[in-house]
Amino acid sequence: MTNIPSDYDEDSPIEIAASEWLARLDRGLTAEEQDRYTEWLAQDAAHREAIGRYLDDWDDFDRLAGIHLKHHARIDPDLLVSESARVSKPRSLVQNIALFSAMPIAAVIALMFYFDVSAPEDTSGLKIQPALELLARIEERALEDGSVIEINRESVVRTEYSDSERRVYLTKGEASFDVAKDPDRPFIVNVAGVDVQAVGTMFSVKLSADEVDVIVTEGIVNVKPSALSFGAEQANTDSYLEIGQRARVSLRSEVPVVEVTSIESGEIDVAHLWRPRLLDYDEIQLGDLIGEFNRSNPIQIALVDPSLAEVSLSSSFWSDNVEGFVRLMESSFGMEAEWRGSREIVLREAN
Amino acid sequence: MPQRETEQSSWFVDEVLPHEAGLRRWIKSRFSAIRDVDDLIQETYSRILKIHESGPIPNPQAFLFVVSRNLAINKLRRMSLEYSPETESLDPLVLADEMAGPFESAVHQEEIDQLVAAIQSLPDRCRQVMTLKKIYGLTQKEVAAKMGVSENTVEAQIGIGMRKCTAFFKQRGYKTRKSR
Repeated sequence: MTNIPSDYDEDSPIEIAASEWLARLDRGLTAEEQDRYTEWLAQDAAHREAIGRYLDDWDDFDRLAGIHLKHHARIDPDLLVSESARVSKPRSLVQNIALFSAMPIAAVIALMFYFDVSAPEDTSGLKIQPALELLARIEERALEDGSVIEINRESVVRTEYSDSERRVYLTKGEASFDVAKDPDRPFIVNVAGVDVQAVGTMFSVKLSADEVDVIVTEGIVNVKPSALSFGAEQANTDSYLEIGQRARVSLRSEVPVVEVTSIESGEIDVAHLWRPRLLDYDEIQLGDLIGEFNRSNPIQIALVDPSLAEVSLSSSFWSDNVEGFVRLMESSFGMEAEWRGSREIVLREAN
Repeated sequence: MPQRETEQSSWFVDEVLPHEAGLRRWIKSRFSAIRDVDDLIQETYSRILKIHESGPIPNPQAFLFVVSRNLAINKLRRMSLEYSPETESLDPLVLADEMAGPFESAVHQEEIDQLVAAIQSLPDRCRQVMTLKKIYGLTQKEVAAKMGVSENTVEAQIGIGMRKCTAFFKQRGYKTRKSR
């Protein structure tokens, strides 16, 4: 919808004239009408504004081309009537999700603690408080130097850039780093007193209760106890990691101990499942698509009726967009979504 | 690392380009008077990219057929300035048949809901005209035949429908959109 004037009046002569010209333009002007139209346009800037607006909106409706094919190929002028009950039905889940996904990450994290405290797993039939914050999209943070950080849900990353170095603190969870090359300013991720240093590379870091896990997917990184935390002497123990290597740093000992192992590419894929990827399929069964979502996200989707798993559809969803997916299932596939526990969404056929 | 900026071009490659051969065949068989089929296809592409930039297109294939057909009809009109509806002898059902079988698109956004809700808010006859025009891509003449009403009635309903849709958008606060 283009900018609608605040004093829009559908019964005003200009609006009536403009909308009539739109209808004539759509069917095709006669030679005589073509002359009159040119004249009408020249008369007043308001005429041109109005017809421009109608033409834009008219084109916009072309988006709806073929949406009926989801249901049946027979021409049905009342197509949208039969669907209206479903589309206009209140969808509280969706509204909540939309609200949450629009929130900045800090607010989401604050809410996470709130839910952790107030929403124990509940199977007694009392009101369940779903873990909505886990539906937030994965944050992709672009930094001033061109580096990009993908930050998993429930994770906290803070950056401190100076002229001499680019320092990033991962204080919770996990993140994946695509580092822009800058030999004069090393890129260092500090996590629980461990420095992970890179110059133009891709790697991911995960902080658990007693361990830091680093995986390199491109270039080389150096993992070592941070001089900031343990003094220069302890920080002398460099451990260079290459592609396909993983460093596990135990936080149980007094000074972090770095253990380097090599990993198979399959393991990298598994470790990176949380990172957004495009689930792009010309044709996939709903059950398989849900499997992809479930592998990538803490929120699990379940189908009540196993026969729904065989519904065939095309997909172009980012794997972290559970919310959008569930919303689509509700609005266009005639399903209902319901929380079961705080981390599971159940889809069933709507009545 | 996935680059979301490239979504538009990968969307185009994945969702639009695969239909080009079918679209070209279809234009050639339906509109033999049109010489420059490539030109028509390019025009259709530029339209679909423009529209896609500002929001979702659930069924890109249907969009391609509907829009290229509209453009083709306009071209033919310009070729013989005197508009003669008789030059079109398209079966209203043709388009639905050409657009291959049931599809399920996972593209879905608020904007589509808004457009659908606007049409749903219209009085019956208006709603039917808009549905047949925009979802099925029928011409006004075909809409008239399908509904058993005069072409003048269809034309009038389009004007009324668009004014009411604008009022609906305004009332709902859908005042602005990313400008194209």
